[in-house]
Amino acid sequence: MSILDEVRSGKEDIVEYAEECMQKAKGIDREYRYFTAIAEESAIGQAREIKKNFQKYRGKRLLGVMVSAKDAICVKGVESCAGSRILKGYRPLFDATVIERVKREGGIVIGKTSQDEFGFGSFSVNVGLGFPIPLNPFDRGRSCGGSSGGAAGLARKADFPHIALGESTGGSIAAPSSFCGVFGLTPTYGKVSRYGLIDYGNSLDKIGSIGKSVEEVALLQGTIEGHDPKDSTSLSHPHEGYKELKRNVKGMRIGVIKEAFSDAVEKDVQKGVRSGIARLEEEGAVVEEVSLEFPIRYSLATYYLLAMSESSTNLARYCGMRYGQAGELKGNFNEYFSEVRSKHFGEEAKRRIILGTFARMSGFRDAYYIKAAKVRTLIIRHYRKAFGKYDALASPSTPLLPPKFTDIEKLTPLQHYMIDVPVVGPNLAGLPHLNVPVGMEKGLPVGMLLIGDHLQERKLLEMGMVFDGE
Amino acid sequence: MQKFTTDVIIGLEIHAELKTKTKLFCACPTQGSGEPNSRTCATCLGMPGSKPVLNRKAVEHALRVCLALDSGIAKEMVFSRKSYFYPDMSKNYQITQYELPIGTGGSLKLESGKTVSMKRVHLEEDPASLVHPAGVRESSYVLVDYNRSGQPLIEMVTEPEMHSPEEARDFLKQLITVLDYLGVFDSSAIIKADANVSIRESHYTRVEIKNITGFKEIERALGYEVARQREEVREGKAVAQETRSWDSEKGATFSLRKKETEDDYGYIIDPDLVPITIDREYVDGLRSSLPELAQDKLKKFRGQHGIEETTARVLAKDKALAAMYEAVSGEVNPQLAANWVRRELPRVLNYYKKSLGESGITPMHMISLLKLIEQKRITEKTGQRLIEKLGESAFDVEEYVTKEGLGVISDSSLVEQWCREAIKEAPGAAEEYRKGNEKSFNFLVGQVMRKAKGKADPQAVNGVLKGLLRR
Ligand SMILES: [Zn+2]
Repeated sequence: MSILDEVRSGKEDIVEYAEECMQKAKGIDREYRYFTAIAEESAIGQAREIKKNFQKYRGKRLLGVMVSAKDAICVKGVESCAGSRILKGYRPLFDATVIERVKREGGIVIGKTSQDEFGFGSFSVNVGLGFPIPLNPFDRGRSCGGSSGGAAGLARKADFPHIALGESTGGSIAAPSSFCGVFGLTPTYGKVSRYGLIDYGNSLDKIGSIGKSVEEVALLQGTIEGHDPKDSTSLSHPHEGYKELKRNVKGMRIGVIKEAFSDAVEKDVQKGVRSGIARLEEEGAVVEEVSLEFPIRYSLATYYLLAMSESSTNLARYCGMRYGQAGELKGNFNEYFSEVRSKHFGEEAKRRIILGTFARMSGFRDAYYIKAAKVRTLIIRHYRKAFGKYDALASPSTPLLPPKFTDIEKLTPLQHYMIDVPVVGPNLAGLPHLNVPVGMEKGLPVGMLLIGDHLQERKLLEMGMVFDGE
Repeated sequence: MQKFTTDVIIGLEIHAELKTKTKLFCACPTQGSGEPNSRTCATCLGMPGSKPVLNRKAVEHALRVCLALDSGIAKEMVFSRKSYFYPDMSKNYQITQYELPIGTGGSLKLESGKTVSMKRVHLEEDPASLVHPAGVRESSYVLVDYNRSGQPLIEMVTEPEMHSPEEARDFLKQLITVLDYLGVFDSSAIIKADANVSIRESHYTRVEIKNITGFKEIERALGYEVARQREEVREGKAVAQETRSWDSEKGATFSLRKKETEDDYGYIIDPDLVPITIDREYVDGLRSSLPELAQDKLKKFRGQHGIEETTARVLAKDKALAAMYEAVSGEVNPQLAANWVRRELPRVLNYYKKSLGESGITPMHMISLLKLIEQKRITEKTGQRLIEKLGESAFDVEEYVTKEGLGVISDSSLVEQWCREAIKEAPGAAEEYRKGNEKSFNFLVGQVMRKAKGKADPQAVNGVLKGLLRR
């Protein structure tokens, strides 16, 4: 990052540099469609403000780094839609806490990145009505994964200093990071404030970082984490900073999840991930196979019941009042709300509202919503038990190489949901996990998932450094 | 089926706004500007990305209510989302308590001595208010004012144990007194009740009445509803299981919706609010700092001070009057204090349409006034005039009495002179008295007091007049 050094020392004019970065970002967007909104005006405004108060920003950890935000993360004055047409035109009056922290540390927010509508998908093909589908950086005929697809794609493609803010509810950082060949850290639930994040499933949503290297990911994670009184679920754990990270694998005990290498996982993916595990072993890790049958078997159903129940209540507020899209005022309020919602929600959003509402209705609530909440507790217990023995667990991040759009079209909703099997478990348990790019198969990237115990982000990052710069 | 011993069954659900500085889940003020939508933020407007943060003071208030009602207190504070679509809802779900209310069980004693059991007590947020520019039925659109959105409400639900509209009124009155004593409720704030009413003749088909405001209305609304249900049965119609609304202006209830099934609100635990453990020691601390409530005061006034029942009740149920009485009765004769705080003080406040607080009359004023009476340094008549003046604006009573020369006139020659004049001016009355007409004597006393401008010692006047008339 030599250009960054020049900007940071004041040798390079930060406003000119920012303008150049914006031009590059726009160029990438024309080809790959990673943005829902490019915030050129506010980004240049930020650069000017830094230039004016350069002394104040000198030495700040993100000074001069371009940061993109998944569309669900609110940026003051910049259209924030969570990828949904129903929020088209919504410009938040406040910054999400993560954005506030990025700006305070001299990071420049360049825009909002594309995603599945409200995070409802694994391929970024469930974009809201009228939003373009982002394309894989290695093959434009393939998916870049989801739901933080734009974030991961941009992290790969950006030819300027850039780190992406992503968000994961059930795997939305790990999966696209795997498909785009970048590092993606999903932190422990509650470690990063959700204030200003447009909710999908509040008990599951986690904002995290996506970058080309462990260093980049750690830089952004260290900036955004730490307690926030504006989010009641935010942990009081002090923020770590992740300075002086060093490659640290020797003697680490790694449990390879047996059930995560089933026949449903493509051979090329298995091969790539196995080679990654071998690398860790070469570096001195103690590798062992571990069975986590219960979480692997029950996580998917549990996850979808809880996430959909929560999201169906979160989406209730989008009814054509106060913000976003409005309709013609006619009929009674029920007719009006229904009209706006029918017209502007995409198909997957409607499916999840219906399923989620069903799961929490009296008569079904005990069998679905309440039971899922109980099973979640059991799943967490299984993971905790494993961490009594291992420093990290390893599995593929996704069961397949980035698929072609034409193949995705053939998937049923259930097959679509199955893609999440490797990643939903740690998401449900609120465990930190890191996608590590372990190499290429057939010209496409393969990602390995390293899962850590609660608050053990540092361990994951230090293991991930083995794959840095490959 | 349960056997009911009475003809009417009533259960109440009462909503009261808790007195806090800020709203339940955001820092917006609960009081202040009436300008629509001026006291709002991202959270109480339900903006995407906003998150709720619980107001601890509201929890403290709710805990005090639970303690006063003797309700069991939950181990932790858990909130749920109650989902339904309505234009006054900022999120189309209300943050409330469902499975785990803060309080369970408990009871409240009525004035009649009967005890009504409580089902539950819980905390929730108030929706926004809807403004119908041309009246509820006529307006073609409504405006939404979010100033109220997110105000803390406490909901208190009784068992269906009341058997007449009068009992329901009594319950609400007692409850308001308790809330007022606890200092958790502003007595000028609105208290709303929903009532379940059923009668034996309809085999106790449950009808819910919504939107009843205040304890006077509850008796009217329920009285109307019981009569309506009986009329339906008499006419051979079936009483429908339904939700009705009370129209105070028309003095009638009207049907809102038929209700064959229970409402389904699809409750889930609100995942934005982590469960908060309710610390036992904290609750014990609140319990020990709980103020003496009206029932305790009544007992004390009757027992220790020997105040007769009606006066003791009037004093005990009004927190401000009770406090005034307690302060004053420590310094002067309790009987005298009770009579003046019960009758003279409210009379004056009523006249000026002021609350005790607004009037500026303090225990100090009352004590010096009543001491002057007790020591016969002024007459009761003068005392009444003084308290009327105090109601207008406060002043130093002793100083004023000295300065204006309002002290009792004990100069016997002056009193005798007034008495002689009175008899001379009304010889008829004197004659009547001598014939045995007591009323005429009172007339003569009145005449003397007029001459004395109320300052003569009535006992002295009595004695002198009687002496003169005997001759
Ligand atoms: Zn507010």
